[in-house]
Amino acid sequence: MAKKRKPRNLRRRNAITGYLFISPFIIGFLVFLVKPMIESFRMSLSKVIIAASQKEGGNGFIMERITTWKESNYYRAFFYDPDYKNRLVDSLKSMAIQVPAIIVFSFFIALLLNQEFKGRGFVRAIFFLPVILSSGVIVGLEYNNTLMSGMKDIIAESGEGFSITASLETILRTTGIGGKILDPVFKIIEGVYDVAIASGIQIIIFISGLQTVSTSMYEAAKIEGCTAWESFWKITFPLVSSMILVNLVYTTVDFLMRTDNQVMDLITLKVNPQMEYGLSAAMAWSYFAIVAAVLGILSAIISKKVYYYE
Amino acid sequence: MKKIRLKRRQPGRSRGGDLGVYIILILFGVMFAIPLVMQICQAFKPLDELYKFPQTILVRNPTTGNFKDLFVIMGQSWVPFSRYIFNTVFITAIGTAGRLLIASMGAYVLAKYDFPGGRKLFAMITTAIMFNGYVTQIPLYLVFAKLGWIDTYMAPIIPALAAPMGLFLMKQFMDGLPDSLLEAARIDGAKEWGIFTKIVMPNVKPAWLTLIIFAVQELWNNAQSTYIYSEELKTLPYALSQVTAGGVARAGAGAAVGLFMMIVPIGIFIFSESNILETMASSGIKE
Repeated sequence: MAKKRKPRNLRRRNAITGYLFISPFIIGFLVFLVKPMIESFRMSLSKVIIAASQKEGGNGFIMERITTWKESNYYRAFFYDPDYKNRLVDSLKSMAIQVPAIIVFSFFIALLLNQEFKGRGFVRAIFFLPVILSSGVIVGLEYNNTLMSGMKDIIAESGEGFSITASLETILRTTGIGGKILDPVFKIIEGVYDVAIASGIQIIIFISGLQTVSTSMYEAAKIEGCTAWESFWKITFPLVSSMILVNLVYTTVDFLMRTDNQVMDLITLKVNPQMEYGLSAAMAWSYFAIVAAVLGILSAIISKKVYYYE
Repeated sequence: MKKIRLKRRQPGRSRGGDLGVYIILILFGVMFAIPLVMQICQAFKPLDELYKFPQTILVRNPTTGNFKDLFVIMGQSWVPFSRYIFNTVFITAIGTAGRLLIASMGAYVLAKYDFPGGRKLFAMITTAIMFNGYVTQIPLYLVFAKLGWIDTYMAPIIPALAAPMGLFLMKQFMDGLPDSLLEAARIDGAKEWGIFTKIVMPNVKPAWLTLIIFAVQELWNNAQSTYIYSEELKTLPYALSQVTAGGVARAGAGAAVGLFMMIVPIGIFIFSESNILETMASSGIKE
């Protein structure tokens, strides 16, 4: 797009259309997301007392500003709470291994599923199943239904029961190739099932991205004598690189925000039975800050490499 | 195994390669399918088999008793069960359609227009994706209370329309649309709304699929019991979770519930997969 010097009224027209189109979203965003977020930030800074009376303009809550650092919810979260810091470190560590694994795996599967073969629709549907199974209802039902948890165990068993993995591990370990170096690899292999189960949406995002690549490009490349390997790296990869960014963000968020994540579990616990609103808000905000920082750095690096088709 | 015949083989790939692809897909496919197969079988297992340990994946003596139990329980409920179903379908349909429209509109201008504050806005929206929704429940309740939306359809539907993840997804897809396509339409005299509905939207159909799946998934499964008290406005997941809360005696019905809840998201997926993903053409520009 030629962006030298736009006439002034074009800029203005752009601005008007821009705001017009985006205003419904912005209104919803401000009212239902930003405002509650600000409110919860205030909670994180104060001592929240639940009061029944609505007299003094309160709505069931009274917030007292905490002034000293030692008493603040943030200080309590990091230095008093026995679990918070450990759980935070643990979940960031497993994130560092799982997220790249999920992205690579789902990209690979998406490439396979994008090929033409018989029964493709059916196979795609199968790969979408984990998304449904890991969804809210099933997770919600688990609380009430011991059967579901029994089922989960079975899945875990059958998933990890691949004897190939175990035998491969013993072979590699006995041959004396550095155990430490291979540890993350084994972790991934052991977690193949976790990875596979968590990749449903990512596969769909990648397939959608692959669908937007025009086939005529491959034809042209083939006529020019491009091998399949070359056309993958020169055409497919750059054109879906923006989807890698999407998937990175989605996977990280999904991993860190899912209800069975340890930190989330703790935050929820603080709200629900323990009624520590201030503390839980402080935990949520510091968690949010850390996640945002991690993602910000990662996506800044990746978005430099992302190629947009002009 | 006999010859695997493909509709159109990718050029430059041997039969061995095809076989490899199939083997990998079958391997992972089986892995992915086990939970589903088990879920389906659970629904048909008689009670004694449900509590057998270790559990079997396949069912030995299938029975429809679980469904009969479920229907009996449904029939006894105070509010007719169809009401719960209507509520859920209504909320899911409106919420999904609205989110698709609003997110696409926002994403379109963020991707294709240069307007003051646009970039900052997008940065803000992406950051908000990372926020833990659980803690905002209480403040959100206060917002609803002020608006008078507690115990109405508004509470589950309206906030769902402005989900940042949907906008983020759509924007990433729209970034990939060539600007020359829009310029061509503009030169031909298309209005902004026309460009949006006739050119941009049809070209990002694969993104619809993802967004629809996201939204349906979220809304269909949402019990929404936090903001809604009237029994007539409650949703299917809530009603069904009440069924499973009955403990051991209702374990069979509970297994049937699991199957019941899965049908719609799977149906939506299959429908949109064949209708949306497959119709995608190229970017429409010939260089």
